[in-house]
Amino acid sequence: MIHELKLAKPSSLDEVKRILSSENSKIIAGGTDIVPGFHIESVRFKNISSLIDINSIAELKEIKIIENEIQIGSAATFSSIVNSKIISENLPLLAKAASQIGSKQIRNRATIAGNFINNAPCADSIPPLLVYDAEILLESEKEKRRIPLAEFLVSSYKTKIQPNEILTKIIIPNRYMNFHGLFYKLGRRRGVAISRITFAVLVRLENEIVTDFKFASGAITPIGKRFHEIEKTIIGKRVNEIEVKLTSRNIGEEILNITGVRWSTTYKIPVLQQAVYQSIKKLLSGN
Amino acid sequence: MKKEFSVVGKPVIRQDGIEKVTGKSKFADDLVFPDMLFGVMIRTDHTHAIVKSVDYSKLDTNKFVIVNADDIPGSKKVGAIVKDQPVFCNEKIVTPGDVVAMLVGEDLNELRKAAKSVKVNCEELPVLSDPLKALDENAMLIHPELGSNKIVHYPLRKGDVDKGFGESEYILEEEYSTPLIEHAYIEPECVTAFIEPNGGIKIIGSIQNPHTTRRVVASVLNYPLAKVRVVQAELGGSFGGKDDTMNILSARAAVAALKTGSPVKIKYGREESILESYKRHPYFMKYKVGFNSDGKIKAMKIDITADGGAYASLSPYVTWRSVVQATGPYEIENVHTDVTAVYTNNPYTGAMRGFGSPQPIFAQESIMDEIAIRLNKTPVEIRKINGFKSGSFTASGHKLRDHDVNLFSVLERASDESDFEAKWNENQNGKSFDLFKRFAEKSIFSSEELLVKDDEFCDENIWKNGIGLALSFRGCSLGAEGIDAAAAYFSLQTDGSAYLLSGLAENGQGLRTTFSIIAAEELGISVNDIYYLEQDTGIIADSGPTVASRSTLMGGGAVKNAAEQVRKRLEIIFREKFNLDEKEEIKFANHVVSDYLGKVKIPFKKLVTLASSKGVGLSSVGWYKGPDVYWEEKTGQGEAYFTYAYGCQVAEIKVNIITGEVYIDKITAVHDAGKIINLLGAEGQVYGGVTQGAGYGLWETVDKVEGKIRDLNFDQYLIPTCKDVGDIKPIFIEGEEKYGPWGAKSLGEPTLELGAAAIANAVRNAVGQRHRNLPINLEELILSRKLSPEDLKRGSAV
Repeated sequence: MIHELKLAKPSSLDEVKRILSSENSKIIAGGTDIVPGFHIESVRFKNISSLIDINSIAELKEIKIIENEIQIGSAATFSSIVNSKIISENLPLLAKAASQIGSKQIRNRATIAGNFINNAPCADSIPPLLVYDAEILLESEKEKRRIPLAEFLVSSYKTKIQPNEILTKIIIPNRYMNFHGLFYKLGRRRGVAISRITFAVLVRLENEIVTDFKFASGAITPIGKRFHEIEKTIIGKRVNEIEVKLTSRNIGEEILNITGVRWSTTYKIPVLQQAVYQSIKKLLSGN
Repeated sequence: MKKEFSVVGKPVIRQDGIEKVTGKSKFADDLVFPDMLFGVMIRTDHTHAIVKSVDYSKLDTNKFVIVNADDIPGSKKVGAIVKDQPVFCNEKIVTPGDVVAMLVGEDLNELRKAAKSVKVNCEELPVLSDPLKALDENAMLIHPELGSNKIVHYPLRKGDVDKGFGESEYILEEEYSTPLIEHAYIEPECVTAFIEPNGGIKIIGSIQNPHTTRRVVASVLNYPLAKVRVVQAELGGSFGGKDDTMNILSARAAVAALKTGSPVKIKYGREESILESYKRHPYFMKYKVGFNSDGKIKAMKIDITADGGAYASLSPYVTWRSVVQATGPYEIENVHTDVTAVYTNNPYTGAMRGFGSPQPIFAQESIMDEIAIRLNKTPVEIRKINGFKSGSFTASGHKLRDHDVNLFSVLERASDESDFEAKWNENQNGKSFDLFKRFAEKSIFSSEELLVKDDEFCDENIWKNGIGLALSFRGCSLGAEGIDAAAAYFSLQTDGSAYLLSGLAENGQGLRTTFSIIAAEELGISVNDIYYLEQDTGIIADSGPTVASRSTLMGGGAVKNAAEQVRKRLEIIFREKFNLDEKEEIKFANHVVSDYLGKVKIPFKKLVTLASSKGVGLSSVGWYKGPDVYWEEKTGQGEAYFTYAYGCQVAEIKVNIITGEVYIDKITAVHDAGKIINLLGAEGQVYGGVTQGAGYGLWETVDKVEGKIRDLNFDQYLIPTCKDVGDIKPIFIEGEEKYGPWGAKSLGEPTLELGAAAIANAVRNAVGQRHRNLPINLEELILSRKLSPEDLKRGSAV
């Protein structure tokens, strides 16, 4: 049951900021998280008394290249990301992750910022955004601040957004033409699956040397996370010098350190190491 | 002489299809009545508790009416076989879905809030959640007045198993289990009850068996049957699930309508539906088989415990089908089977598509493959050595005759079609699945042990192919469960169009179209000439429940009989007009009536007008009664069903050996369902049944802790999507059959009962490991066990 609440539908970003500065309001875009949350009376949404619907603000839905950066409006739906040439040509891992989220109906409504603004561990967009070094733009009536996504995500269901702020853009450097990578997702089934394991790997190979390597976890750690120390052990090495098994095990170990042993660990940790091994091996072979 | 058909056997688009896919159909919750009130349930947080008092002090009694057991004029408890289920549980809670009372009022949201303000004071009782402990001497009794937690026990004794095992060269003993399963019909429960001008009560809702609902409501209201009229609204799926729950909801709505004088609607959302509705029985099965090196099975001993949950519901019938069919379609000299259903505090279990067959088929078909592997034979060979032929005796001593025993035909066709033996042998060749073997050995690991060692990383192809089959025979219709007869009403109009209605209900299986085809074929008219009426106990006779894949066989028989009666009357008029004698065969086809050679003919419409002008009655009530069957309770012997259907499904899958994912590439489904009436409808049954069977095999399980269901919606209770099942190939073998319309038998349940077993055998073929506990989900495949989140935080990252 949806409780009684106030709903504003502003037509400009300024208006959104004005409302945010004057009252305690939450933003709603696709609503695929909030509306079912209302129905099950989720504690996360229970105290919301006022919502701002941002669907009429066109600029928040744009996907464009400006100079050396790709800008994705926070209210761009996953369907629009899947269908965007800019994304599929320059950020294929994000396109791949977007294409596997929920069902077609959900992708038609759910938005990219909505996916991670609540920082649910299973948000599929996070690992690709992290390996692409995405930044986000937060705006309030008084100021704009641009921070790395990795910094924005604090812990499960917690981010650095202030009550008076709106996340307007995701900004990603457009410099991944010579990289190849993959987004890995394991769910219990192929369609409409909640992720059990996700990660993204991005590699740049030049003359059999790994000149860049990025790894980010998703639904295996409480928050999506880059593994910089492990990345450093690989960068600069020749492909045949890299100990993929050791790297995979190190990633497993680090994740285990973060999570501790939970009911599903016995399955997830060994499987994760195998999947990481398969993935890195595949990428290093140039595929 | 083989009859040439004009509509039967052709693909016909279902009559309600366009309306349903365009959203025009009106379902139970779309119906609104003037001055309608709503009913909302009051439950407790308990699984097993005595209700001490109910505190309504915070309730605005000017706004809401309380309806509880005190308002019931008739039976306070109901049940198909054992009257053990209270309409309102004012004394005791025995399972979390139980309802203490109901609040009635105008506004649904206010009612839901108000229901939370009602406090039920309870004294907790110990919870019995393990069915294997239900018959222990010191077990808590769920219904003390019944004296035992045993719902029913069926023995079956044939030959001498001890002697049979003594004569066996090999003995194999295995244990299997299957999970609790939700029907997952797309439309949750909804019903409205109101008082009719004649003083009777009318019920309209998402009801599978209107006549059963009528019986229950009449007993609760203490009304004569005719004073209760039940109408079925367009139904959004049932799979056997809209029986007991809907009967009780109808009774609650009826009691509330009488108390308030207004129409009262009860509608459930998904969570409430999963919480209160009954489920498919979990089975715990022990199989012991004795066999010789030639492959012949000498003896089989089976011990099955079924978890009936808190109420008996249809457990006595569900488990009876299990005892008849538990050995599978194999002729075995010595059989000793016990099937026992028990009470626990778990959600209660009852009818669900398959009805006591998917569970033993999973066990029996798994063990058949194990026998084959032990003897170095193929699954096809071992089944041919033991399978039923014409004249074979079933475990219950029933000699199979009077129909084509097409077991070998379905087996051979499925095997040929899928190139089974070649693929099976290739996959079987010496692969073992030991990547994670050490993780299957224990359940608690140190962090160090969870790290994969160098030699454990997988360097081979992570996808392994597997192929598996499952074979079954299935008794058609109710068998010795009860009286088996059905009615149909056919009313031809003076312009050649017609009304049709049977006493069985359209539950989504496509019965309206099938029945229209039967009537159209009989009179040589088109399916579009026939208008199928709304199911209403006020206008059609009780035909037993719409269950057991009996619609086409029984209801179809009644429709054919009704149309035949009218046809015979028209034949008399035709003969009179053309001076033909009684022996002359008359043909009805393509809207024309003619003598056999076509020398004299008249348009169908003209003949109807002529008959009508002569005062000939153009409407009829058809009746079809199945032949007698019998059952000897003490020995489990008898001709349990009057005929049987045969089926074989082959699953081709691939297994990801590092994650445990299983993908179904193809299912070949070969069924002898007798004569196919609507080819499109029959194929639809196969697609749906196979997909449901795949869900049973790989994903579905209602997880519960102390009787409480954890997964009350489809984000956690996973059913397969169209992305999870590859090709499905339906193939029909049409055997000769003397019962049913032109020999049509059963198809709905046979399509579902084989899938999980075939998939389990395919997994065995792919990875060399037997999984004995459904579902074969990720953890089962990798760790050979289920991981349980009990006592640990759920929904978190790991």
